[in-house]
Amino acid sequence: MEVVMAFVVATLFSCALYMMMRRSIVKLVIGLILLSNAANLLIFVVSGLTRGAPPLIIEGVDPSPFVADPLPQALILTAIVISFGVLAFAVVLIRRAYEVVKTDDLDQMKDTDT
Amino acid sequence: MLESVLLLVSLMVAVALVLNAWRLMIGPSTADRILALDTMYINSIALIVLLGLYFQTDLYYEAALLIAMLGFVSTAALAKYLIRGDIIE
Amino acid sequence: MTALWILLLPALGMVVPLLTAKWGRNGCTLMTALAPLAALLVLLQATPSVFQAIPIVSTFEWVPILGLSVSFHLDGLGYLFGLLILGIGLLVILYARYYLSDRDNMGRFYAYLIFFMSAMLGVVLSNNVVQLWFFWELTSISSFLLISFWSHKSDARKGARMALTVTGAGGLALLAALLLMADVTGTYEVRELLQQGDVLRASDYYTVIVVLFLLGAFTKSAQFPFHFWLPHAMAAPTPVSAYLHSATMVKAGVFLMARFYPALSGTELWFVIVSLTGMITMLVGAYLALFKHDLKGLLAYSTISHLGLITLLLGLNTQLAAIAAVFHIINHAVFKASLFMAAGIIDHESGTRDMRKLNGLFKYMPYTATLAMVAAASMAGVPLMNGFLSKEMMFAETLTQETLGALSWWIPVLATLAGALGVAYSLRFMHDVFFNGEPIDLPRTPHEPPRFMRVPVEFLVVLCVFVGIIPQFMVGDLLAAASLAVLQHELPYYSLSLWHGFNLPLLMSVVAVIGGAVLYWHRRHLFHFYGQFADRDAKQIFEGAVQALQTAMVAVNHWLDNASLQRFMFLLVLLALILAASPLLHLHETVGTQPQLALNWVVGLAAMLLIVATLLTVWWSHRRLLALIALSVVGLIVSISFAYFSAPDLALTQLSVEVATIILFLLALFFLPQSSPVIDSPFKIIVRDLGVAALFGSVIGTLCYVMLTRPLTSISAFFLENSVPGGGGTNVVNVILVDFRGFDTLGEITVLGIAALGIYKLLARIPLYMPTTDSKGHRWSQDRHPVLLALVSQSLLPLALLVSAYIFLRGHNLPGGGFIAGLITAVALVQQYVAHGVDWMKGRIVFNYQAIIAAGLLIATMTGVGSMAFGREFLTTWFDYVSWPIVGKFEIASALIFDLGVYLTVVGATLLILANLGKLTTTERLRAGEG
Repeated sequence: MEVVMAFVVATLFSCALYMMMRRSIVKLVIGLILLSNAANLLIFVVSGLTRGAPPLIIEGVDPSPFVADPLPQALILTAIVISFGVLAFAVVLIRRAYEVVKTDDLDQMKDTDT
Repeated sequence: MLESVLLLVSLMVAVALVLNAWRLMIGPSTADRILALDTMYINSIALIVLLGLYFQTDLYYEAALLIAMLGFVSTAALAKYLIRGDIIE
Repeated sequence: MTALWILLLPALGMVVPLLTAKWGRNGCTLMTALAPLAALLVLLQATPSVFQAIPIVSTFEWVPILGLSVSFHLDGLGYLFGLLILGIGLLVILYARYYLSDRDNMGRFYAYLIFFMSAMLGVVLSNNVVQLWFFWELTSISSFLLISFWSHKSDARKGARMALTVTGAGGLALLAALLLMADVTGTYEVRELLQQGDVLRASDYYTVIVVLFLLGAFTKSAQFPFHFWLPHAMAAPTPVSAYLHSATMVKAGVFLMARFYPALSGTELWFVIVSLTGMITMLVGAYLALFKHDLKGLLAYSTISHLGLITLLLGLNTQLAAIAAVFHIINHAVFKASLFMAAGIIDHESGTRDMRKLNGLFKYMPYTATLAMVAAASMAGVPLMNGFLSKEMMFAETLTQETLGALSWWIPVLATLAGALGVAYSLRFMHDVFFNGEPIDLPRTPHEPPRFMRVPVEFLVVLCVFVGIIPQFMVGDLLAAASLAVLQHELPYYSLSLWHGFNLPLLMSVVAVIGGAVLYWHRRHLFHFYGQFADRDAKQIFEGAVQALQTAMVAVNHWLDNASLQRFMFLLVLLALILAASPLLHLHETVGTQPQLALNWVVGLAAMLLIVATLLTVWWSHRRLLALIALSVVGLIVSISFAYFSAPDLALTQLSVEVATIILFLLALFFLPQSSPVIDSPFKIIVRDLGVAALFGSVIGTLCYVMLTRPLTSISAFFLENSVPGGGGTNVVNVILVDFRGFDTLGEITVLGIAALGIYKLLARIPLYMPTTDSKGHRWSQDRHPVLLALVSQSLLPLALLVSAYIFLRGHNLPGGGFIAGLITAVALVQQYVAHGVDWMKGRIVFNYQAIIAAGLLIATMTGVGSMAFGREFLTTWFDYVSWPIVGKFEIASALIFDLGVYLTVVGATLLILANLGKLTTTERLRAGEG
C-alpha cells in the first residue's frame, strides 16, 4: 500500500506543479488547489498509515502505541482552512486583474507590469 | 463472516465509484457529468458508513452526514450555474 | 570608563555645532571645540597609567552568547592616536573657522567633523573586533560626508563616491578577516586576540585572513593599487584634507596594521606583501608627487608616499622597524597637517592652488612662507627636523633587514631613491611657490592670513622643530608606550639622538638630499619625460568600471527575471527539486525496514480514481467547469482517504472546504471567459514543464515512500498523554488546536479574517463584464429562484444549524470543533443565498459579516487575555467537570469560548467572501434590465 500512496502523492504533485507553470491564470489557481491537496495528503500519509484508530482517548485504554498521530492532523486542519483563505484571495485578485487587463493570459499581464 | 460481507460490499461500492468516474469522463453533456459527481457523493456516503461498520466505530457517521448535505449544496450550485450562470443573485 | 568618556564626549558634541550655528562663527567654533577639549583633558589625565604600560579597559556585556560586547581600551597606541585625533582636531577646528567662507554651512561642517572625530576615536579605542569594524565603517561614511561637503562641485561628489566605494569594499574584506580571526581564536576581544598570535599564524586560514585584512588596511591607507582615491578626495575643503587625509583617517589603515602587528605579523607572507606594497607605494607616490601642479595634489601624493614608508617599515622583519613606523606616524601627522593647512592658507589668500601660477609668494606672506618651508624641510628629511629622525631610522632599518632574502639590498636602494624624490618634491613645494619669479595671473592679491588662522600651523611647525631637536624629551615616553603596545613585549634598545656617527644611514640621507636637489634642478627634463606618458584620469576609469558592472548586472537580472511568472515558477520548482533531491541521494536504499501494509482492493480502486481525477483536471484545464468537477472528485477522494486512515476531523474539514471552494470558483468563473484560448505555450515549454513537474513528483513520491518504510518516532505521545489531564478533552486533535497550540489557531483565524477583509475591499467596485449567454450560446433561464430549490433549502437550514451546533459542542471530546461547525453554518447560509437570492437574505440577516469576524477574533483573544487576569500565561485553558441532574456529568472548558471565537470568525469570513462575490452581479443584471 505504501507504494500506491507514494504514487498517488507523486501524481498529485506533478499535476499541481504542471498546472502552476501554465500560461493562463485560471490554470494557476487550479494548480494551487491541487497543490494544497497534494501537500496535505503528503504530510498525512508520511505520518503513518494507521487504519481504524483515530486519535481519540477512550476510557481505560492506553492510546499511545497504535493510534494515528494527532499532531500532523491538527497542522493539516489549519493548513486546509488557511489554503481556502489564500485561494479565495487569489481568485478575487484574478477577477480584479481580469477587469483591468481583460485577459487571463499571464504573458500579456507581463507587459502591463513592466 | 460480517467482515467478509463488508469487504465485498465495499468493493462493489468502489466499483460503482469507478463506473461513476467513467460516466464523468465520457458523459457527452455537462449535466451528465454533474449527475455523475452527485452519484459519486452518494456512493461515498455508503462507503464511509461501511467503513464505520468495518472498524466498529461510530465516529465516521458525521462525515457521511456532512457529505450528504454538502453534496447536495454543491450539486445545486453547479446546476444553477448551468442554467443561470450566476449562482447567487 | 576613561576610554568610554574619551569617545562619548565628542559623540555627544556632534550636535553642538548644529545648535550653536546661530551664535556666529566665533561662538560656534568655541562651543564646538569644548567637547574635544574635554576629551583631550580626560586623555591627558590618563597619561601616567598609559606610560606605565597599564592599559585601561572597560567592557559592557551586550549579548554574551554571541560574543558581542561594547568594550574599550586605552593603551599606548590608542593614546598616541587619541592625541593625534583630538589635538590636530582642535587645531583644525580653529583653522576651519577662518577657512570656511560665509556661504558654507559651518554648523553642518563642524558636526560632520566631530562625527568623524568620534568615529576615529572609536576605531582606536575599541577592544571588540566587531565594534572596531563598526567605527571603521563610520569613518568611511563621515569621510564621504566631508569630502562631498561642497556638493555643488561635481568632482567633489565623484571623489567622495570613489573614496566611499574603495574604502567600503575594503571594509567588507576587513570584516571577513576580523570575523575569521575571531572564529579561529574564539574571542572577539582585541586584547585577547593579540595574545593568540601563534594560534593565528598556525591556522589554515592564515593566508586568507592576512589577505583580507591587508585589503582592508591598504584601501583605507591608500596603498598601491588602491591609492587612486586619495588625490581625488582633495576636492574636499582643506581643513578636511589636513585632518582626514593626512593625519588621521588614512592613518587608520596603518593603525590597524600596527594594532594587529603582534597577532598577524612574523611570517614570510606578511613581510613580503606588506614591505613590497609599502615600497611600491612609496616610490609611486613620490614619483607622481613631483609632477603635480596642484598644491594639494602634490601633498596628497606625498601622503601616499609617506604612508607607503610606514607600511614598508611595518613589513620589515625587525622590531626596531615597528618602532620607527610608530615614530614616523607621529612625525608625518604633525608636518603633513601643517603643510596642508599652509597650502590652504595660500589657496585662501591668493585664490588658486596651481603651482605654475603661484610664484614668489615669499615677499607677500613671509611669515607663512617660513613656516611652510620649515614643514617642507621636515618632509624632505632635513636634519634638525622630526622628519629627519624618522627617515634616519627608516634608512637604518632597511639596512639591517633580510625581508627579501638575497634581494634585500633592493630595499635600501629604492628607499634612498624614494628619499631623493621626496627631497625633490619638497624643494618644488618650497621653491616653486615661494620664489621663482613673480606670480602669474592670481585672482586675489596674496597677503598674510588672519592671525589665528596661522596659529595651528605655527603650533605644529614648532612641534616639528622641537621634536627634531630634543626628541627624547618631547616624544620619548609616548613612543615607548606606543611601541610597547605594538610589539607586546620588551622593547629593544634604540636611541633617538640626533647624531649616531658617520654611518651608512647618514650617508643615505646625504645622498638622498643631494640627489633630490639634482633632480629638482633638472626638473624640466623630468617633466618632459613624464609628459610622454598618457595622462590617465582615475576618476574616468573608476566611473567606467562602475558603469560596466552595472550594465552586466542589469543583463544578468534581465536574464533571470523577465517579469514572466512562469519563468519564476519554473526556477522555483527547479530549486525545490534540487533541494528535495539532495538528501535523498545520501540514503543507501529506497525501501526501509518497516513492514508494509497489504494492499486492499478498495484502497487500490480509490487510489486509481484519484489519479484519474487528477489527470482529468489537467486534461480539462482549458474547460473551466469540467476542471472544477474533476477537482471536486479529487477533494472527495482525499477526504475519504482521510477518513479511512483514521482522521475524522480532517475528513469533515476537507469536505466542508471542498464545497466552499466549488462555490467560490463558480462565483468567480461567471466573469471569466469560459474557456482559455486554445493557444497555450509553445510545445518546447510544455515539454520542459512536464519534465520538471514529473521529476519533482517522482522526487516527492520517493521521499514519501522512503519515509513510510522507515520507523518513525513522534512527539505526539506527550499530547496523547496530556490530552485529558491537561486539556480536559478526549479528541486529541481538537485539544491540540484550541489548547496546546491555541496560539497557532489564533493566528490562523486572524489570517482568515484578514483575507476576508482584503477580499471585501477588492470587490468594492462594480464589474464591467457580464456574459449574456452561456458558453454554448444558450440564453440563460428566466427563473432566478426555482421554487423547488428554495423550498428544500429552506427546510435544510435549521437542520444544518442543528448539526453545526452539535458538532461545535462536542468538538472537545469527539470529532468536530469550531472550524467544522463554522464551515457547515457558512455553507448552509450560502445555500440560502443560492436558493433565495441576495435581497431575500438581506432582509433576514441583520448583522454584517465584518462585525462577526471582529467579534470572533475579539472573543478568542479575550479568552487568552482572560487567563492572564488569573495570573497565568496567555491562552492557558481551564476546565472542570459539572454534574447536572438530567444531563449527567459533562465538562466545561474555557477552550469552548475560544472555539466560539473560531467559529464566529470562520462563519463571518466565509460568508463575507462568498456573499460579496455573489452580490456584485445583482446590481449589474438589474441595470441590464434582465429578469
